[in-house]
Amino acid sequence: MTSLANRPTPPRSDGDGPVPGPLPPRLTRSLVGRWALFVVMVLVAVVMLYPFWVMIATSLKSEAQFLSGGGFSWLSWRNLSATLPLGQEVLSSTIVCSVSIAVILLVGLPAGFAFSKLRFRTSTTVFLIIVSAMMVPLQAILMPEFVNVTRLGLTGGYAGAIVVYASLGTPFSVFLFATYFRSVPDELIEAGIVDGLGYVGVLRRLVVPIAVPAIATVTVLQFIQIWDDLLVGLLFIQNTSERPITVGLAVLAAGRTTSIPELMAGSLVSALPAMVVYLGFQRYLVKGLTMGIDR
Amino acid sequence: MAQINLDAVTKVFGDTRVVDDLSLNVADGEFMVLVGPSGCGKTTALRMLAGLEDVTSGTISIGGQVVNNVLPKDRDVAMVFQNYALYPHMSVEKNIGFALKVRGDSKNEVKRKVADAAAILHLSEYLDRRPKALSGGQRQRVAMGRAIVRNPRAFLMDEPLSNLDAKLRVEMRLEIARIQRLLGVATVYVTHDQVEAMTMGDRVAVLRDGKLQQVDTPQRLYDHPDNEFVASFMGSPPMNLVRCQVRAGAQRVEIVVGAQTVELPWRYASSHDLPQSGGGVVVGVRPEDVTVADGSAPNTLRVRVERREALGAEILVHLSNLEADGVLAAREESALRLVAKMGPREQIAVGDEVSVRISPEHAHFFDATSGRTLRRE
Ligand SMILES: Nc1ncnc2c1ncn2[C@@H]1O[C@H](COP(=O)(O)OP(=O)(O)O)[C@@H](O)[C@H]1O
Ligand SMILES: [Mg+2]
Repeated sequence: MTSLANRPTPPRSDGDGPVPGPLPPRLTRSLVGRWALFVVMVLVAVVMLYPFWVMIATSLKSEAQFLSGGGFSWLSWRNLSATLPLGQEVLSSTIVCSVSIAVILLVGLPAGFAFSKLRFRTSTTVFLIIVSAMMVPLQAILMPEFVNVTRLGLTGGYAGAIVVYASLGTPFSVFLFATYFRSVPDELIEAGIVDGLGYVGVLRRLVVPIAVPAIATVTVLQFIQIWDDLLVGLLFIQNTSERPITVGLAVLAAGRTTSIPELMAGSLVSALPAMVVYLGFQRYLVKGLTMGIDR
Repeated sequence: MAQINLDAVTKVFGDTRVVDDLSLNVADGEFMVLVGPSGCGKTTALRMLAGLEDVTSGTISIGGQVVNNVLPKDRDVAMVFQNYALYPHMSVEKNIGFALKVRGDSKNEVKRKVADAAAILHLSEYLDRRPKALSGGQRQRVAMGRAIVRNPRAFLMDEPLSNLDAKLRVEMRLEIARIQRLLGVATVYVTHDQVEAMTMGDRVAVLRDGKLQQVDTPQRLYDHPDNEFVASFMGSPPMNLVRCQVRAGAQRVEIVVGAQTVELPWRYASSHDLPQSGGGVVVGVRPEDVTVADGSAPNTLRVRVERREALGAEILVHLSNLEADGVLAAREESALRLVAKMGPREQIAVGDEVSVRISPEHAHFFDATSGRTLRRE
């Protein structure tokens, strides 16, 4: 504001033109617009963050304090860690998540590359079949899947869940990588070949580094999906000692005497990693979703 | 460094012969320009040289070694792509040094060679930047740097200047020619721009529909085109090609344009296979060989000025011939359209009726059906 006010006034003829106001009209309008935008964004932020605030505030009360409305206590956090093997459950979720995502990336990236850059017979058909697998909802294939995995004897620990998650996530990953690599010019790969790379070199030294935004996108979306999923974990991980956090929470919620503050504390523990992963990869994620546009 | 030989190289996509029986020898250190209209197979020819495309038939050798079945990475050639194809995730320094790193040069060696290449290309200040943060001209230089740093057996360049604005293109034209001469590496340079071909090449190969039309020095291509296509492709505005009757006999060569006759030197009858009497030919005249003449002088054509384009340093004048009685030639077969290139001070206006003289020393004759030159070798 000061800089505007301190501007030297332009020489004015003493005619009868309109006296200039303190700000040119265009500037006024854009300032008003920016304030309006700011207010709207604050409102949106409040709406989005309010549930988190409720979770945090509620988890920091005892059951009695929650019902009466006031007070502060670590009691529900202490109870939570006493009832649930929190550390073990978070570890289980982490293992299932990371191994599934690793498989999804290891299959999806080379497959997407092959579908978009290598010419071979039936490539379009195979691609369409794989992509159409994306449309199949989990619930539709859950029972046959369960039968299969049981026959393989994998319903005890992580393996069964990992197989299911990986096979559910891979079609999307193949699709996203194929789309991404289509926006990468062929010449880039060919430049690498002329510069002395073989196929493996091309994949390792050009394709993977260029695909970082796509890798981030797949990782975040799959992480959120797998971390937050309850159904597969509930069905396929039958060893209590290997169950993930979502299953732990479900058990807590299904108990006869459910403590709301305790549940809130558990939900926070379960929600936090997904948020951290999202925030960590956000920079690449935006790039990945708008890829091809800034070219 | 090495010579490049293509022997009857053919490439078929589906059932089109994109490159058809191409034989071409590029001497060691030579700058060979491959020029032709868009879609004539230039890029395909270059990609076969690089090994990015299989050869349908024929042989390609580099340095005397047949490379038909040699992988691109083992051919030791560097390619500059039309859209530069810089690695977006690497700095300029990494981009230029990439091939050296891949082939296993030591870190210090890579650094030194990249610094040398960057100095030649005036890129030293930009080594830390990503390609995204460079201007078009700078990206082009990085693409060049990536090629020259390797000191390869051959440079292959595919329209490297086509994405630059006109001024930068003229600059880089000189720059690339300078660097190529400095390094003395055999180069195949692809362009659709005949000006680039004329100004850069030691020799120029003209390609049309995958077939080689003529290979020669730029000046000889311009002065002695082998066919109508080369005649009209090289030079701007293109050579005037006039379908007319020629009469050779009785110590004179005459061409008949509508109702007018122009006599040309008798020597054309011995240097060219002109049709014996009254045959149709295509006569070619460069725009700069059409000049305004005194109306009473012999061997001039009466024409009317239809259009006048002042380009600053020269004026392009579009002319139509007049019948003997001063009316415009109406019949299609006797109508003549000529473009003349005149000096900037020429006093000439649309609608003027003037006499023009066709420089008798610089006429070209082509067969009316095949378009091939009638010049005797
Ligand atoms: N991979 C391909 N498959 C089929 N046709 C192709 C392929 N590459 C090029 N062509 C065709 O070959 C012809 C020559 O292409 P190109 O060599 O790129 O021409 P230029 O570089 O001279 O413009 C074009 O008609 C083009 O459509
Ligand atoms: Mg091309």
